[in-house]
Amino acid sequence: MRLDYLELCGFRGFRERQRVDFGPGFTVICGRNGVGKSTLCDAVEFALTGQIDKYLVDKAAKESLDDYVWWRGEGQPEAHFVTVGFRADDGSGFAVTRSRETGADWDAARIEAMLCVPGAKPERALQQVCRTSIIRDEWIAALSLDLTETQRFELVRAALGAIEGPDYAAKAREVLSAAEGTHNAAAHAYEEARARLTAALTDLEETRDVALKAGDIAAALSSLDGLTAAGGQDLGSRVAAARQALAGRRLGLGEMGRVADEVRAVSALRDTVAGPEFRASRDAAAVAAAEAEVAVREARHALEAAEARLRREQETDALAASLAILVDHGSRVGLHDDRCPLCRAPQGASEFETGLAAARERLAARHSGVPEARAELAAARTRHEAAAEILRETEAAVLRFASAEAELSAREEALSAELVRRSLDGKLAHDAGALDAAVQAERSRLIDLERSILTLEASQAVERVTDLEAHVEALRAEADAAGDRLARVRTAVTAARTLDRTVRRTNAEIIDERLAVISPLLNELYQRLRPHSEWRTIDYGIRGDVKRFLSLRVGNGLNPQFVFSSGQRRAAGLAFLLSVHLSRPWCTWRTLMLDDPVQHIDDFRALHLVEVLSALQRSGRQIVCAVEDPSLAELLCRRLISEPAAPGRRHDLDLVSGGGASVTRSTDIAPAIAGVLGRTRDLSAAG
Amino acid sequence: MMDIATQSEVLLRSAGYETWTWPGGSVPVVCFENASVAGFLHVFGSGEGLLADWRQVQQATLGRHAAALRSAGAKAWNFYALFLASGSDPVLARQIERIEEDFSMTRKIARGDLRTAADLRRTLLPLLPVLSAPTIGGADYRARLRARLSDVPDAAVAAFLGVASASDVARILVDAP
Repeated sequence: MRLDYLELCGFRGFRERQRVDFGPGFTVICGRNGVGKSTLCDAVEFALTGQIDKYLVDKAAKESLDDYVWWRGEGQPEAHFVTVGFRADDGSGFAVTRSRETGADWDAARIEAMLCVPGAKPERALQQVCRTSIIRDEWIAALSLDLTETQRFELVRAALGAIEGPDYAAKAREVLSAAEGTHNAAAHAYEEARARLTAALTDLEETRDVALKAGDIAAALSSLDGLTAAGGQDLGSRVAAARQALAGRRLGLGEMGRVADEVRAVSALRDTVAGPEFRASRDAAAVAAAEAEVAVREARHALEAAEARLRREQETDALAASLAILVDHGSRVGLHDDRCPLCRAPQGASEFETGLAAARERLAARHSGVPEARAELAAARTRHEAAAEILRETEAAVLRFASAEAELSAREEALSAELVRRSLDGKLAHDAGALDAAVQAERSRLIDLERSILTLEASQAVERVTDLEAHVEALRAEADAAGDRLARVRTAVTAARTLDRTVRRTNAEIIDERLAVISPLLNELYQRLRPHSEWRTIDYGIRGDVKRFLSLRVGNGLNPQFVFSSGQRRAAGLAFLLSVHLSRPWCTWRTLMLDDPVQHIDDFRALHLVEVLSALQRSGRQIVCAVEDPSLAELLCRRLISEPAAPGRRHDLDLVSGGGASVTRSTDIAPAIAGVLGRTRDLSAAG
Repeated sequence: MMDIATQSEVLLRSAGYETWTWPGGSVPVVCFENASVAGFLHVFGSGEGLLADWRQVQQATLGRHAAALRSAGAKAWNFYALFLASGSDPVLARQIERIEEDFSMTRKIARGDLRTAADLRRTLLPLLPVLSAPTIGGADYRARLRARLSDVPDAAVAAFLGVASASDVARILVDAP
């Protein structure tokens, strides 16, 4: 399949409808920068894929490449579309039109069916077709030497086509993942089964320990008769009831112990209260209390007398003070109308003064009894308080004795009631020894009951051991089965890993083999393009298992990415890309499009490239090459082979008035004259 | 020692060229031509002789074929002159190769260290179609996998290569005896 024609309108830099007919042998497109050479390559790619893959970024300043696919200059195109036509060797053909309004008239699968070999095409086949058929200036190094080794491997892997059949690598990974999931579940089930078995074994051993204590069951049952009802219950229920009853009896035994303690305490208290010492002390306390009461009464009388005297003395002092005031007042007032101002008695002055002097003398001679009365009152109060204290102490002593007797009486009464409540002989209230003996006897009975219960429990354990042993066996079988399954699943995981590894290795081997197959081609093209005068061969190396790396080496293991100049890298890159282009067994499109491939390449190597293109053409490729330099275009037109069956064509592009690119001239390349030297030979032979 | 002239004719004829020898020169000359290219292949006895005489030899050859060149039209631009010898040391061989950078009159191919048929084929590459034609055939993938997976149960391999789902394949692996 070859390119037949391209028709475009309103696409990128082409406003007007243009048709470019490609020469079946070759087509040279010539024009200066910006006249639409690259757009013709873009149009082919866009028609096939709906994309233009040459831009590193597809968005900038909120605009994307999609905003620039169609004409944005002056004027309105009559339409917006690209059509690319293909022609097969048998003359049949097809065309794909992609318009702005309706998209493509062929879907990708249909286009792929025309350009690719079914079953062998790689994923995203049309993108791979374009990437390996349209070699653009800006991508020559970027898509070859400047790729990372993993990207380079992927490019070659994709170019070499899919390994036949479905994606076994992904399926193998899924199988491994599923097997590992099953393994995890089986491992979990095994661990759980082992845990259950371990727990059952522990239970069994504990039950066996209990069973070892089994004794005379009949005697044990007999001993229970007095404790629980004998009939109508199974052994387990009887043991449970006996346990419950035993607990009650133990409680009662504890209370009996406390009653015995009380009997001993009451007896001791009784002995104390009834003793002569207690009685003598009690009586002495009573006497002392009576005497203290008398003393208090006497002290109270003395206190009251002292208080009365103090009051009298204070009243006397108050009267004397009043008299002194009167005397002073009379002295200040003096006689009034020859009468005493105090008593109104008629007096003479001398008499009055004499009277005042005598009054003052008597007042001065008077001695106050208040201090003595106060001292006497304080002493009386002290004596009264002391007597009252003694009285309180003696009364307290009397009360203590009375309380002891009352306590004895109360405790004896309570003890008697407790004995009655427990159906014990009331005489025991006075016989602690007998009560202790009763407690000891009850304890002994309870121990026997405990032993009997243990015996019966042990007999039950014997039966349970059998059940548990059967359970353990079942769990052991379950764990063994889980272990067997785990082992099988482990084997399955190992097999799945083998499967996964083998698929990956087989894929890698196939790719390695395919690379080995194209290695001579890479070297031939490298030798033809001769990027370096000394390093005449280029080798590749593949490493990695999961992630694969494709490295290129020249000379003594040198990486051309780092030792070549930009021109040399482009030449080596072209060799790489051309070898990839020629190694696509899955692609039936025989056209190689080159967009300005000679940038940075010197004339000598440009000549090599032209020779390589000629060689490719002679090997059945249709060459479409866009160049800027008219001289190079002429060289291409001369050197590439135009034959009547597969002529060559040249299109010159330029910008036309009103904007937009246009094909300004199309030229069919005439075949070269045949037999030029042959005529000389004929002439020589004739001469 | 390799007969460079004869081996060259073998290669060129295999590539679709007409070839014949022209005995009139000081060194053996093989003429060749196809639809777009023509040229002369000169074989020298030594590298030193090549380096010393190539201009003179070319002049003589072109002079002899001047009429043909004049009548060749655009094809005249596609004339090759090959100057070949064997046995040159590396230094001399590099000097000889630099002749190729002389673009006057003809496209030149010059080698002084040809030893093997592979050397000659490499030298004539600019005149030959692409020689390497990689044939990437079917990998017979399933047969390969079956052979490699002998440790994996047959039923699982068959299921894996068939339409069974991955989980079914995993189950078959677990249940395999």
